[in-house]
Amino acid sequence: MSDPRVKYRPPHWPDKLLGWFCHEEHVEILRGDLYELYQERRQNGAKFWADLRFCLEVLDLFRPFALKKKRHQETNDIAMLKNYIKITRRTFTRQKVYSLLNVSGLSIGLACFILIFLYVRDELSYDRFHPGAERIYRVIEHFESDGVGEHSASLPFPAGPTLVHDFPRQVEHVVRLFNFQSPTLALANKDADKAFNESRVFFADSTFFDVFDFKLEAGDKATALDEPNTILITRSMARKYFNGEDPIGKFLEFQGTQNLLVTGVLEDAPLNAHFQFDFIVSFSTLKHWYNGDYPRSWYWNPCWTYVVLEENTTKEALEAQLPAFVQKYFHEFIRDEVTLELQPLVDIHLHSTLDYEIQANSDVKNIYIFGAVALFVLVIAAINFINLSTARANKRAKEVGVRKSLGSRKSQLITQFVFESVLLTFLAVLIAVGLVISVLPEFNQLTGRSLDLDVLLDPRFLTGFVILTLMVGLMSGFYPAFVLSSFKTTLVLKNAHLKTSGLSFRRVLVILQFTISIVLIIGTIVAIEQLKYLQNKNLGFDQENILMVPAIRSTMGDHYETFKTKALQSTSIKSITAVEEVVGAKHQVGNYQFEGMERSKPIPRFFVLHDFTKTMDVELIAGRDYDRSVVTDDSLALVVNETLVKSMGWGSAEEAVNKRFYFRNRLEGKIIGVVRDYNFVSKHNPIGPLVLPLNTRPRAFDLFIKYLAVKVDGNNLQAAVNDLKNAWHTVLPNRPFDYFFLDDRLNESYLGEQKMSKVTIIFSGLAILVACLGLFGLATFSVEQRTKEIGVRKVLGITTPQVLILLSKEFMPLVFAAFILAVPLSYILLREWLSTFAYRVGIEAIPFMVAGLITFLVCMITVAYNAWKASKINPIDTLKHE
Amino acid sequence: MKHTQLGEFEELVLLIIGALRDNAYSISIKLELKEHTGRNPSIGALHSALNRLEKKGFVESYEGGATSERGGRRKRFYTITAYGRKALDQSFELRSMFYHRLPKLGWSSE
Repeated sequence: MSDPRVKYRPPHWPDKLLGWFCHEEHVEILRGDLYELYQERRQNGAKFWADLRFCLEVLDLFRPFALKKKRHQETNDIAMLKNYIKITRRTFTRQKVYSLLNVSGLSIGLACFILIFLYVRDELSYDRFHPGAERIYRVIEHFESDGVGEHSASLPFPAGPTLVHDFPRQVEHVVRLFNFQSPTLALANKDADKAFNESRVFFADSTFFDVFDFKLEAGDKATALDEPNTILITRSMARKYFNGEDPIGKFLEFQGTQNLLVTGVLEDAPLNAHFQFDFIVSFSTLKHWYNGDYPRSWYWNPCWTYVVLEENTTKEALEAQLPAFVQKYFHEFIRDEVTLELQPLVDIHLHSTLDYEIQANSDVKNIYIFGAVALFVLVIAAINFINLSTARANKRAKEVGVRKSLGSRKSQLITQFVFESVLLTFLAVLIAVGLVISVLPEFNQLTGRSLDLDVLLDPRFLTGFVILTLMVGLMSGFYPAFVLSSFKTTLVLKNAHLKTSGLSFRRVLVILQFTISIVLIIGTIVAIEQLKYLQNKNLGFDQENILMVPAIRSTMGDHYETFKTKALQSTSIKSITAVEEVVGAKHQVGNYQFEGMERSKPIPRFFVLHDFTKTMDVELIAGRDYDRSVVTDDSLALVVNETLVKSMGWGSAEEAVNKRFYFRNRLEGKIIGVVRDYNFVSKHNPIGPLVLPLNTRPRAFDLFIKYLAVKVDGNNLQAAVNDLKNAWHTVLPNRPFDYFFLDDRLNESYLGEQKMSKVTIIFSGLAILVACLGLFGLATFSVEQRTKEIGVRKVLGITTPQVLILLSKEFMPLVFAAFILAVPLSYILLREWLSTFAYRVGIEAIPFMVAGLITFLVCMITVAYNAWKASKINPIDTLKHE
Repeated sequence: MKHTQLGEFEELVLLIIGALRDNAYSISIKLELKEHTGRNPSIGALHSALNRLEKKGFVESYEGGATSERGGRRKRFYTITAYGRKALDQSFELRSMFYHRLPKLGWSSE
């Protein structure tokens, strides 16, 4: 606003400010005065001081006489508020369809948002309940050479205590967790004749409660784990084993041999802890199993090790000293391949995908996807709200006209409409909360969580909600409010044709809405395809009708052959082998040195017993399988996979047979066979090299052989299970018999994707529904607007299909534009998502076409319904009034 | 001065308006004030006083006299009204009446 006519221009912003707040009556004179003074000051002094004084003087003009005045006193605000409520109610009931569409759409959107918010909040809360959680780290071990090896969540036995010993100033506490790497361990209360295989048993150092803040309902945290042969059990387990009697001072039998004294009752593990436990056994109990001491190996790494750092130190400071630590303690032959790292406890649940995790973690990627979907649904719902309200604007133009002629100011009209939309939003929020309450149990089942509504009463959450309500209300009320209040009074009252202002804006919103919906549909289709692909693609071994029987730490090693002979007498049992881990899910790592290698390297390893290839239907492409008649196969022979052959640079599988391998540079034996590559871990990862050694030592069942794998006749499952159980009990009468199906367990690897696809299907379905509600509302409105036109056209002989075409012309281009926008957008997003999978489906045209077709059809139906309704109206009714 | 309600600063401004005759507008009043009393009121304070005076009916205003340094904007000139004049007279009379009643002692002691 600086004036070109003056010699010196005063600073721009204060000048503008003056124009903004100053009353029109005074602004010319005052500005003139200020300019005159400013010119004089500039002539006699520095610009800075003149500017400063100009600013101060503008500010000084914030005086009652100079400010813009309201034309009259506001004494009727409260009365008007009452009036607004009344009018809101009347409009709501007069335009039932719109209002219901409006509010229900918004409530669905909000309900989705709340649900996903609860879910995401739960995901983010993992492990944060420990005071000082940010000082707790898990020490993890990377052990690899040329990208092959393992990223282990656990450490060797001596690592934990040595860390405290070597870094007393940085490490405050350390705790190790251990479970024999066994999927289950047997516990029994002999008195009550209750025996179970338990999967959530951990051995923990007595410092357990110094690191973690789990609640102990009975017993003393300080001493509960001090003595050997003591155990803490959770409340649920106390019920399970002791029928609600006080378990303290009683005994549980561990693995059929060792009596453990119950010294405390734990509260059940919080569901948002990254490891779930039922029993905590004192670490010193382990000495019994290892000849009176803990294993001293720095190679075997089965202990999950957590440290609490001192307050005045950092993760980086300790990590900087870890390479030297590795060099000092780890075995010479693996030293250079091992790196230790501190992983923040609170990152484990969302960011950790290591080998040997205690249990499968979530993925932060899914949180982003869920969050995006929640936001999308909310945006779609808010767009509906805006669209329908602006569309309704014309209906209320008369009201606005009357209000204006009676002296309503623009600000009052805006207040009214914003108030109205906030009120409706609030209503929608209430309905949404009701919806959430009613579907929460199902949602919990779907996501496998126990989300709680308690959080809804949390003051922070309530404030957040009020803010959300206001925001959505304001956002969706502001635009209509401005459109409505800017109508020209006379035009409105004269019933002149109103330019449907906001139509183009509304179009943009509809396009946006449908773009999001189409992206969601395409994403959902591709996500389902990807999931199917992961679950169905041939794995290279047979996963059907395979029973897995946990047998670790049993005396099965002594009775294996007897058991096998007995079991195979059954006609329903076809073949039996035993394996180190669940086939296709997990493996361990061993050091191997083959011909042509300078030194040994860590390579994925999977111990098996005879008949592995036969039972699992793994194809042998060269050489022979382990043979029972060759006793030395146990130590002098190896079966490897194709990728290992390739990675060694041997020309063919045949060539690989008879290649030598060494142990500590001493000739050990030869490769006797090569199997076709099979997916020995989930398809999130590509196939790597693999060694399949035979381990027939009786003690193998202590650690290296964990399961029996039994191929059974699919038509006689029940008989097979019974026969197997009988065979089991003839050799192991005291050990409970447990089994699971391999294909079920393998599907669990894709639980994350399954959950995600379910949730996205539901929410994208809702998003489309909400978008259609909006379109329905708009179409209805459009018909109402054009009743006269349609009346005239009907008189002139228009047919129903023609009405449909007439109406489609208004909406179909929008849907088409949305489709054009959605295609590249979803392509980019999907490419990004799929790139995280080692095995992925290609992005093909079909999902895009299907999504386009679905959207098109749904829109068509919506519009067709309205067209049909419009064509049924008798033109006399619409044309007789003018 | 109960009936005229003329404040000290207002009275001063009113006097200056009277004295400046045809050229009484904010800046000239400001200059007079600065020159003769050393006071340098802000534009806001001055206009605020002028407004009060006008509302009370002591002065009248008209707009005019745009100059280039004002960017072509008009000034608001003030003229004293008869009522304003009367108020000044009353105030003067009141003051001189009390002034004359001051004991002459003070003077003789000089």
